[in-house]
Amino acid sequence: MTAPQGAAIDRRIRRRTAVAVLAVVAVVAVFIVRLVSIQVVQADTLNAESFDKLSNQVAIDGLRGDIVDNDGTVLATTVLRYDITASPKSVSDIERTAADGTETTVTPQQAAAEIATILGTSSDEIYGLLTADPTSNFAYVARNVDVDTFRAIRDLGIWWLYYSSNQQRSYPNGAVAGSVVGFMDDEGEGVAGVEQIENTCLTGKDGVETSELSGDGVAIPGTTETTVEAEQGGTVVLTLDSDLQWFSQQALLARIQETGADWGTVVVQEVKTGKLLAVADYPSVDPNDVDATADADRGSIAFQAPFEPGSTFKALTAASVLDAGAATVATQVEAPYIYTDANGASTRDSSYHDGPLRLTFAGVMQESSNTGTAMLGELLSSEQRYDYIEKFHMTSPSEVGFPAESGGILSPWDEWDDQTNMTTTFGQGISTTAIQIASLYQTLGNGGVRLPVQLVEGCQAADGTMTEVPDATGEQIVPSTVSTDVVNMLETVVTGGYAKTSLEIPGYRVAAKTGTAQMSDGSGAYGSSYITSVAGLAPAEDPQYVVSVTIAKPVTIESALAAAPVFQEIMSQVLKENRVLPSTVPGPDLQTTY
Amino acid sequence: MSNLATAHMLRPSGAFSSAAPAIDPEIDSDLELDLAGVSAPDGSPDSDSRRRRAPWIQIAPSRSQRRARPKIAYAIVVVTGVLAIVITQLLLSVGLSDGAYEIASLQQQQRELDRTNQTLTERFDALSSPQNLATSAETLGMVAGGTPAYLRLSDGAVLGTPSPAAGSAVSGGQLIPNSLLTPAAATATADGASTASADPAAATPSAPTVPAQSTDVPWQGALPSPTTH
Repeated sequence: MTAPQGAAIDRRIRRRTAVAVLAVVAVVAVFIVRLVSIQVVQADTLNAESFDKLSNQVAIDGLRGDIVDNDGTVLATTVLRYDITASPKSVSDIERTAADGTETTVTPQQAAAEIATILGTSSDEIYGLLTADPTSNFAYVARNVDVDTFRAIRDLGIWWLYYSSNQQRSYPNGAVAGSVVGFMDDEGEGVAGVEQIENTCLTGKDGVETSELSGDGVAIPGTTETTVEAEQGGTVVLTLDSDLQWFSQQALLARIQETGADWGTVVVQEVKTGKLLAVADYPSVDPNDVDATADADRGSIAFQAPFEPGSTFKALTAASVLDAGAATVATQVEAPYIYTDANGASTRDSSYHDGPLRLTFAGVMQESSNTGTAMLGELLSSEQRYDYIEKFHMTSPSEVGFPAESGGILSPWDEWDDQTNMTTTFGQGISTTAIQIASLYQTLGNGGVRLPVQLVEGCQAADGTMTEVPDATGEQIVPSTVSTDVVNMLETVVTGGYAKTSLEIPGYRVAAKTGTAQMSDGSGAYGSSYITSVAGLAPAEDPQYVVSVTIAKPVTIESALAAAPVFQEIMSQVLKENRVLPSTVPGPDLQTTY
Repeated sequence: MSNLATAHMLRPSGAFSSAAPAIDPEIDSDLELDLAGVSAPDGSPDSDSRRRRAPWIQIAPSRSQRRARPKIAYAIVVVTGVLAIVITQLLLSVGLSDGAYEIASLQQQQRELDRTNQTLTERFDALSSPQNLATSAETLGMVAGGTPAYLRLSDGAVLGTPSPAAGSAVSGGQLIPNSLLTPAAATATADGASTASADPAAATPSAPTVPAQSTDVPWQGALPSPTTH
C-alpha cells in the first residue's frame, strides 16, 4: 500500500465517519424535537386526551334526605331503582356455561322469555323492544325496577343488557300523612307539602369521583380522587306522630263513610308547644301513587281550604267579649228564637223554642245559641271584634308556611254589611282553615298564649345537628283569666250540651265546642249542606291537647253529632297514647240558666 | 506508618528468606504476601506453570492503598441493595395491584350488601307502617283498648274507670291506602289466615271482646319480675 492510497482511504473513512455522525446527530435531533414537542409543547392536550380515555368518572349520589316523624318513623325516604336497557344492535345468542361445564346457547327469543318471566310481562313484548330498531344502540327494557328484579335479570348474564340506578322517593307509610308530607315531580323537585317546604334541606348534592382504569376496568391504585364531595340531604323531622296520624285518618274516614260525607279534616295540636301531632285530610293522596288521586285532592285541606267554621268560632267571640270586660261568664241573656239587632240584621237559633231562653254566657255556649252569641258579641264594636279576630291570627296563614296555605277569608270590618257584622260573632261570613281553628283553641288552652303553629322540628344534618328550628316564642293574646273562663264555659258543652254523650271521655274533663255551619253554595248564598265540626281541649283543668274535627256535607246526620264521635275517639287515643292521667279535680260546673 | 508512599519490596519467602534482609520491620505479620511462586513448594504441575508466569517480584500495596482499593463487599452490598429494591418494588406493585382488585371486589360486595340492606329496610319500613300493624293485630284477634285506668302506686288510688276493651271505629278494614303494602299485606293476611283458622274466636271481629277474655294464653317460662337490689 502506497502512501497516497493510504491517505485516500483515510479521507474516505473520515468522510464516512463524518456522514455517519451527522446522520446520527440528525436522527437524534429529530427525536429530541419530537420529544420536546410531545413532552412539553403538546403535553397538556395529550394528557387530557389520554385521561379522557383512561379515566372513569363515577357520580357519588348525594341522596335526598328522609322525612321522619317525631319518633323517627320514616315517612319519606330515597331508594334506588334500576333502569334496564339493551343495545339492540348487539342482541345475539348468548353462550352459557353451567356449573358442570356444559355449554348451552340461548337465543334472543329465549332470553326475552326469561326477562319477561322476571318482569311479569309477555315475552313478545320484550322481544319487540329488543328488535324494534336493530340499528339502535339503546332501548329501554324496563324502568325503575326494584333490587330483586334487577338482580334476577342481571344474573341471567345477558351481556347486551345494561343497568343504571336512579333515585326514587318512597313513602313507607303510604297515605299516612301523605297530604302533609307531599310528593315530588318527575324532575326530583318537591312540589307539595313538606317535600316542597323543606326542599332546600332535603336536597343532596351529587359528588364526582375520578379514577384511572386498567384494561379490565379496575381502578389503578393511587388514581382515585374525589373531585367533588357528595353531600347527603338533611333529614326533616316533623312534629307529627305517625301512629296518631294514622289513627286520625282512619277514624275520620270511617266516620265520613258512615255519614256519607264529602270531605273532612282532623288537626291534633299540643297545647304547650304549638306542635301539630296529626293533620288528617280526606281525601288525601298516597304519595307512592300520586296519579291515583285526582289533581284537586292532592293537597292538604286543613292548611289550604278555608271554610266557614260556624259555632266553634264562638269561643273567639266569648274570649273577645270577656277580655273587653263587656260581660262575664255569669252575664244573663234572654235569647229569643229569632233575634233582630239594631241594624236590622237578623238570625235564628238552630232549633225552635217558643219563649226566649234565659241563659248565662256559659249557657249561651252550652246551648250554642246564635241569638245569644250575637247579642253578646254585639256588645263590642265591629272594629273591636275584627281586632280580636286579627289578634288570634284568624286572618293570616300559620307559621308553617305550607304551600298555598290559606290565611282565611274575612273582609275588613269597615266593609262588613249588617248581616256579616252579626254572623261573624258565630262563625259565619268568615272563613278559616282547620289549622287556624286548632290554633285558636291552643291559645285558649294555654292561658291565652298563642304559640306558633309548628309542623317541622327542624332540619337534621348527618352529624345530628338541628338547623332551621322554628321560632317558638308565644304571644299573649288574652289574659289567662279570660282563657280559663272560656275553657270552663266550653266544658259545659261536654257536661250538658246536646252532643254530651258523644263527647264525654270517661275519667277526663273535656272542654269542646260543636259547630254546624251552613256551607256556601258557591254563588253567594247558603246551600243546603253543612260543615259539622268539634274543636276541643283535654284535660280541661290543664289542657294538653287540642283536637279539631271537621266533616263536610254529611248526609245521614246533619249536625255536629257527625263529627263528635271522631273527636271523642281521637281525643281518647291522644290521652291514652300520651299517658295523660285522668282528671281528679271536679269541673267548675258553671251555671248555664237562670 | 511513617512512609505511606513507599512500596515495600518483598521477596518470596522460603528458601531465600535467610539471604534477604528484613527491609521493613513494621511489616505486620498479618500482611498478605504474594506467595505465588512459593505457595506450592511441592513442585506440582500447577505450581510449576504458575511459577513460570508469575513475576519474580511484585509491588505489594501498602495497607492504605489496599484500603483505598474498592472492596468486593461494597459491590455485594450495592448489588444486593439494588436487587432488594427491585424486588421490593416488584412485590409492592404486585401487592398494590392485588389490593386494587381486592378493593374493587370489596366495593362490589359492599354495593351488593347496600342493595340487600336497602331492600330489607324498605320491607321493614313498609311492614312497620300503621296500616300493616293494625291489620296484622286484627287478624290475630286483637282489638283496640278503651280508655285506660291508672293505678297510682303512692296511695293505691285507681284513676279513671277500668273497662274492657270494646274495639273502636278504627278497627275493621284498612281505609288508608298504602300502595307499597300490596305484596307485604298479602303475606300478612296469609299468616293471619292460618292463625284465624286455628282460633275460631279471632275469625269474628264483629264480636271483638270475646277472644281477649275467653282464650287464655298459657304463659311460657318464668314470670317476669323486675330485678331489684
